[in-house]
This record gives sequence, structure tokens and C-alpha cells, in this order.
Amino acid sequence: MFHALYTAASGMTAQQINLDNIANNLANASTSGFQSRRVQFSDLLYQSEVMPGSAATQQTTVAAGLQVGLGTRPGNTEIIQTQGDLSSTGNPLDFAIEGTGFFQVLMPNNQIGYTRSGSFQPNAQGALVTANGNALQPAITIPANATNITVGSDGTVSVTLPGQTNAAQVGVLQLATFANPGGLNSIGNNIYLPTTASGDAVVGTPGGADGLGTIQQGMLEQANVNIVDEFVNMILAQRSYESNSRVVKAADEMLQGLNQIAQ
Amino acid sequence: MDSGYYAACTALISRTQALDTIANNLANASTVGYRAQHNVFSAVLAAANSTSDSPVNQAINNFGVLSGTDMDTSQGALQKTGNPLDVAIQGSGYFVVQTPNGEMYTRDGSFQVSSKGQLITGAGDPVIGSKGTITVPPGTVTISNDGTISSKGAVAGKLKLVDFPPGTQLTSAGETYYSAPPKTATDATNSSVRQGMLESSNVNPVTSMVELITAQRSTEMMQRALSMYNSEIDKTAVQDLPKV
Repeated sequence: MFHALYTAASGMTAQQINLDNIANNLANASTSGFQSRRVQFSDLLYQSEVMPGSAATQQTTVAAGLQVGLGTRPGNTEIIQTQGDLSSTGNPLDFAIEGTGFFQVLMPNNQIGYTRSGSFQPNAQGALVTANGNALQPAITIPANATNITVGSDGTVSVTLPGQTNAAQVGVLQLATFANPGGLNSIGNNIYLPTTASGDAVVGTPGGADGLGTIQQGMLEQANVNIVDEFVNMILAQRSYESNSRVVKAADEMLQGLNQIAQ
Repeated sequence: MDSGYYAACTALISRTQALDTIANNLANASTVGYRAQHNVFSAVLAAANSTSDSPVNQAINNFGVLSGTDMDTSQGALQKTGNPLDVAIQGSGYFVVQTPNGEMYTRDGSFQVSSKGQLITGAGDPVIGSKGTITVPPGTVTISNDGTISSKGAVAGKLKLVDFPPGTQLTSAGETYYSAPPKTATDATNSSVRQGMLESSNVNPVTSMVELITAQRSTEMMQRALSMYNSEIDKTAVQDLPKV
């Protein structure tokens, strides 16, 4: 049977996954700290009926080989590491990372998760936690009677207590980075886990010599989804799906014609 | 039997092979760095050695076969991504990749950094620079138009771009890799790279659709010719002639 049917089917499957990914990016366009993903395609194996460069006669070689490709496949979905826009919220416990790096949070299973979503709140004990209750690591406790909270660009957290003129330092935010942040594992709730592809976390001071980003207090990083690009990709995915289904139809009609020869 | 029967049959087979190539082009219309394949048909003179080579003989025995697929080396559109490790080639050159099967060449510049800090392709194979594999330090990476990779002012390596003499046979190896005959790659002189961009596949949807329709319609013509031989001529020869 024609390869074309399967080749076109591989193109349609790839575009389905592409559209699923675009839908997820668009659905998370308002998720702070969300990093969009991008599907990368690669071509599949080739059937070489005539190898390029094989001998045509003793003196000459064929001008071009006869290689028939067998379609496409989605290769990987890479996390796009561009900076999202910073929007001012005025909330002193909203932190945005300007540059590379991730906040570390302690998950209920005692594993460390990594996130760029910097919207924190104090829990009943005063420790800073995410909206899901995961505690920021290293732990930072804000005294209940603190009147003013200041976070420096290097992550130093200081508070002013009633009756005191000088601010007291209560902790230092640290950020983690990875050799290949594109290879992190998304587990939802804006949390990433390290993999062998991403490498181990390297923890450092914001803005330090490790190339980590700086902390911006009172700001949140918006998703780095570019709506225009996603819409253009969505149109391309849809049209590409259509052209592949047109090939299926053509192959079907050619087979139908073949079956009618012997009538 | 009538040689036209086999001519139509050969043409029918070559058109279905042509459809496979068109399907592969359209399936890879979103594959970064993919280069379209075009079908090359040629005539084969069957049994031309024994009989006299008259024009009539040629017309009867000349079969059309699909003799090859030719790679379209035109530049694909450069698409802006803003990702610092995306690199597109402007010009005819190729990136060099170290794979388990030896050196391969690719136009797909959607690179990543491995957990060991090496610059790798999406398939995980290290990219070769002018001095072997390239280790990228953490932090913001800048890639200049000549392929020099630098981070915080320090040069980390230089992407190697190679070109091939005209007529070199590149073999598609999947993963948008191409292999070339040994010792044909030379340093590219007319190619430069663009950071934050990717080269889209150079499949032209209009040409592909026209090729698709052509393949489909000429298949129908061959089918018509075959059924003509089958139902009209052979039936006349087998059923009608003995009655005379």
C-alpha cells in the first residue's frame, strides 16, 4: 500500500500535538511565572531506493538518489526561557525574577520544586509559602507585627518592627539555576522538577557571580506566552493538518481508481 | 502482451512513489530546517538493444519511471523566536553535528544546552565548533553573525559552518540530518548565522498541492489507459475475435 497514507497520518498526528501544545500555552497566558513550550519536529527515516552517489555505470554516478521519506514526528517540547513581562502589583510579598533562576519550594513529599511564580503569603507561623502552601526554601519567617517588608535586588529580606528605627534582616532569598532549564519536568502548579537532561540545581545569590537574575519586589512575572505568535502557529497547524488530510484523500482516490481497473 | 500495458503500469507505479514524496514534504512543512525533495522522472527505453531503434519502437517502449529525488536547497523563511539558542543560517551552509554514526550536517539550529553544559541539537547530539564540541557557560549567550558564541564577554566557541561543492550528493538521514560523502565538506564562505531565529522548512505549499493534483490526475490517466487495455482491447482479442 502507499506510504503516503501513513506519511500523511504522521503529519496529522504531529499537528494534533502541536495544536494541543498551543492550546496549553494560550490557556496559561494569564498564569504568572508560566513558561511556554514549543514543539520541535523532525523528519523520520528515509527509504533509499537508489542511494545518492551510487554508481550509474563504471565511470559515472547517479545525479540524484531516490530517497522517499516516511513522514514526521514531534521531537521534543522545549521550555522557552525568554523573560515574561513584569507587572507591578504593589504587594510587598510578590517577587519577580529578572533574568535566569527559579525559586525553591518545599513540596509535601519533602522534595524541592522549582518555580518562577513569585506570589508568596505568610502562613500561620509567619513562614513564606506559595498559594499551594509549599514553603519557600531557605525558609523566611516574617514576624507577625512587622510593619514594613523590604526585599533587595540581591534577595535580602528585612522588616521594620514597631518602635524600632532600623530594619532587621530576617533572611536571604536564594535562586536555583540549571545547565539546561529547557529540560526541566513540568508537574503542574507552576512547579518544575530537575531531570538528568536539565542537570542538578546550582543554588546562588540573586544577581551574584553565577549569572542569576535579580529580585524585583512588588512585581509578578507574567507568562512568556506571545499570543500573536501562538495564533500564527495555530493557523499554520490547522492549514498543515488540512494539507495532510488532502494527501490522505488523494491516496484514497488513487487506490479506489486502482480497484476499479479490474471491473 | 502489448507493451503499452506495461508502460501505463510503470507510470502508475512511479506516480504512486511520487505521491509518497509529496506526502513527506507536506508532513514536514512544520519541521525546522527541513528541505523539500522533488521528484525526478526519466524515460527508460525497454528492450532497445535487440530491435531496430526506430521512432515507432521508441514511442512504444519508452517507459516513464521515477529515477530520483532532488533536494531543494533554496533558503527557507527565517522566523523570529527570540530564544537565544535558536540559530538560523543565511546562505547555503550547514551546521556540523557529531552523531554515533559519524559527522552529520543539519540546517536545524534549535540548539539546547545539555546538563553537562554542551551545546546539543534537539536529538541530543553535540554540535561541532571550529575547535570540537562547544561548552556554553551559564548566563546570557550571544551568538554573532559569524557564529562566535560568547557569554559575559568571554568567547566560548565558534559554530562550524560547512558547505559542499555543487553536485555533492547529500543523503537524508532523518532528524533533519544529512550525511555527505567523505572529504566533501569545506568551510562555508557565503553563510552567516542569525541568533534568535529559526529557518522554517522550505516546502512550498502551493507547489506541493500542484504536484499532488498532477500526481493524482496522471494516475487517473494511467488507470484509464490500463482499463482500456483490460476491458476494450484484450476483451476484443479474447472474446470477440474467436467468434468471427
